[in-house]
Amino acid sequence: MEADSRLVLPLAALFTAFFVAPLVVLLLLSLHGDIAMQGWTLGNYVKFFSDPFSYSILLDTLLLGVKATLVCLLFGYPVAWLCARAGARWQSVLVFLVILPILTSVVVRTFSWIVILGRQGLLNQVVMGLGLGNEPLRLLYTEVGVVMVLAQVQMPLMVLPILTVLSKLDPNLGDASRVLGAGEWRTFFRITLPLSLPGIIAGCILTYAASITAFVTQTLIGGARLIYMPLNIYQQAVGANNWPFAAALSIIFMITVMIVVGVLGAIGRRSEIHGRT
Amino acid sequence: MAGLRRIRWDALSLKLVFGVLAAIALLFLVLPTAVVLLTSLTSSQSLRFPPPGLSLRWYVALLDADQMQRAGLNSLIVAFWTTLLSAVCGTAAALAIARSRSPLMRAADLLFMSPLLLPALSFGFAALIFINRLGLSPSIPILVLGHAIVCVPFVLRTTLASLSQLDASLLEASESLGADRLTTFRRITLPLIGPGIGAGAFLAFMASFDNVPVSLFLADERTEMLPIHLWQQIETNLDVRTAAASGAIVIATLILMLLAERFAGLTRRMH
Amino acid sequence: MTSFRTVTIDRRRLLHRAGGFALAAGLPRFAHAQSKTLIAATFPGTWNEADRDVIAPAFRQLTGAAVTQSIILGTDQVSRLVAAKGNKPPFDVAFFDAPQVIDAVREGLIVEYPAAQSPNYKDLLPTAQDKWGPKITMQVIGLGYNPDKIKTPPTSWDDLLDPKYKGRVGLTALNSQLGIAFLAELNRVKGGTDEDFEPAFKFLKQLLPNVGAIGANLGAFATLWQQEQIDIAPYNFNFVQTLKAKDVPVDFTIPATGAVGWSTSLHLVAGAAEPELAVQYIDLHLAAATQEKLLKSPYDVIPTNAKVKLEGAITKSLAKTLDDVAKIRTINWEKINPQRGALIDRFNREIKL
Repeated sequence: MEADSRLVLPLAALFTAFFVAPLVVLLLLSLHGDIAMQGWTLGNYVKFFSDPFSYSILLDTLLLGVKATLVCLLFGYPVAWLCARAGARWQSVLVFLVILPILTSVVVRTFSWIVILGRQGLLNQVVMGLGLGNEPLRLLYTEVGVVMVLAQVQMPLMVLPILTVLSKLDPNLGDASRVLGAGEWRTFFRITLPLSLPGIIAGCILTYAASITAFVTQTLIGGARLIYMPLNIYQQAVGANNWPFAAALSIIFMITVMIVVGVLGAIGRRSEIHGRT
Repeated sequence: MAGLRRIRWDALSLKLVFGVLAAIALLFLVLPTAVVLLTSLTSSQSLRFPPPGLSLRWYVALLDADQMQRAGLNSLIVAFWTTLLSAVCGTAAALAIARSRSPLMRAADLLFMSPLLLPALSFGFAALIFINRLGLSPSIPILVLGHAIVCVPFVLRTTLASLSQLDASLLEASESLGADRLTTFRRITLPLIGPGIGAGAFLAFMASFDNVPVSLFLADERTEMLPIHLWQQIETNLDVRTAAASGAIVIATLILMLLAERFAGLTRRMH
Repeated sequence: MTSFRTVTIDRRRLLHRAGGFALAAGLPRFAHAQSKTLIAATFPGTWNEADRDVIAPAFRQLTGAAVTQSIILGTDQVSRLVAAKGNKPPFDVAFFDAPQVIDAVREGLIVEYPAAQSPNYKDLLPTAQDKWGPKITMQVIGLGYNPDKIKTPPTSWDDLLDPKYKGRVGLTALNSQLGIAFLAELNRVKGGTDEDFEPAFKFLKQLLPNVGAIGANLGAFATLWQQEQIDIAPYNFNFVQTLKAKDVPVDFTIPATGAVGWSTSLHLVAGAAEPELAVQYIDLHLAAATQEKLLKSPYDVIPTNAKVKLEGAITKSLAKTLDDVAKIRTINWEKINPQRGALIDRFNREIKL
């Protein structure tokens, strides 16, 4: 109805004025040589694609996302599985624990990881104390450390969509499989896993997108030497004052994320169709 | 008989593998929060873990941390107004989207949710360029607008979920009893979707208070925000006050989460 | 129905308001937040602690105003001021190392210091007085090392190459003053000139197998020392003292090739929002009483006020009197500044862990 649809106008106005317009300006700036926007040029994009140092940063970032997402999936699926099987009260408690990290300030969480991962930190004390190694692990300021922290920080984004799908799963299917003689593992791989695929894909999309744009975690744990796209954009924008180049980097980054999300989303939709047949 | 035994061993191994992985994951989920709280209670001047002794001295020191308090207040003010703006605009938009099938509305829905997936850093930078071109300087109102863009998706999502569970027959009954649209909204719709809006508003509030990528560009030294101030401190010195501030944030978050769970059923709406 | 709706809305509002009001009620300085605030830049490391713990309270007592001290590297300060040209600057007091002053004057970012309104200015050493802004200290670099791991103090920059330090050496990124000063001094020692940095980069490439971590600035280094990720690194005298006071295992020594340093100064930014407060703030740094306090542990800041007598850790490692301080070698920033961008770029590409 007309009157109802008009309710969308305030938010639409806000987004047009403060989301769409700035992104358009960003695109325009990336196509110019300087902030005064005098002459059109593709120079910034050429600079990015012709410079191995620049696009290696983008590739490193995309790869980082893949690693973090896989670790998240490996540990997040069991958590969702546990939550789905828990009774109502335990489920509330578990979900509470799962979303607690994501609601705590990201700076706070990353800070506590610095304390945990340091050379004298908790993790190394445990590792050395249990005799699991002779040398303390060097985790801070390494990509391994960044992947670990990212996986923890983003895990709720993986767990919740999978939990949603698992809780709606028809238990009869599992029972039927067992009655027909299939073992638990077989039931899991043939029935549960494929049916939970839409949730897995949804979780992967959210985790991936969040991991590659996780500025705070990448920079605090990775240090200034592990440069990923977010830090690169920031350094170019604020440190080097090179706004047009930073704008080009931002546009490239956004389009890359949109492509990945789009592809994963398409896979997700197809898996949903398969799941229903 | 042999078949039954085989299945039980299978079930056990599955539960074991999943159980262990889940336990490790849950430990890692909770560990940082616990570590921060424990570290903030250290009696020493350094961030060594485990702390040599326990003391509240660093929380007391927070009372003197002028600049940190000002940054905290700025963050609170911005979060408050962002939540208000997001709740009002987001609820209105959710009502419009839920009641329409048009492709334009679908597109609008996608647009409003996109800040969740697009890099917030790019948006923050774009916003900075935008206001700079307009000749404006960073300020609290501009920060609120920027935060609202990235926070309103939370309100939209939970409110849409609530609306989808609203029984249309209730609305029909109200109208057939003679209530006009506004009354129906006030007396029926709003109370029923209230908790959904509340949960979304809570998420928006936390997202705004904690926001770094947008604040990094839209906040400057004159409108200092707490997460950025804390980050500066972490990167530049080993001050235990940062741990105390972190501890205070964690405790406040826990309390707010418990309130949101009690009044808005937070955990139910998250999956 | 009515009560249900009212209660629901009240509960929602309660959530929002509870947070804000509880915190506001608990803030003892809430009323003060309404009074004037000066925004000043400061450096990571010793200085931001000295500014926060000594200068800020003294400033509030003197003027009744609060000061927000933003930690920004000198080069980043210049960037931000350039970006804000024409609008209100992001801060009123700039905190520069010698290289930035040259760039700032050229770009018109700072104004001449109104010495007439600054009572403590005349007490400064003649070398510390400058029409663009008074020098508040000298920063000296040398070798920082972990005395628990390295029993005999190193004696030269070449000690960094020692194979027993494999993976234990720290470096600082070139956009920080510490990084570029180290590069310049290294270059000089290895026979390079202001135009030719090849010797320095050759040394760094040789050093790479030993490098364990590269910190963004000397403040970020603090974590590396405390977590014992590195044992030896080119480092700044002041911050070693500050870290020592925090029980971090680190000590300082000057290499045989001599100490090298640069001056640090405060400036009034062009178009400042609170120029009078800014001058009062800068003047506070020049006062003998302030510099005497900062001379002591844990800051060990080299003073520039002629009335202050040297004592403490400075006399043990660096200089006995202020005259000795004046003799510490400095770097020709006029020649190096234009090359800075290229040097940083080269460093980022060639010196990768």
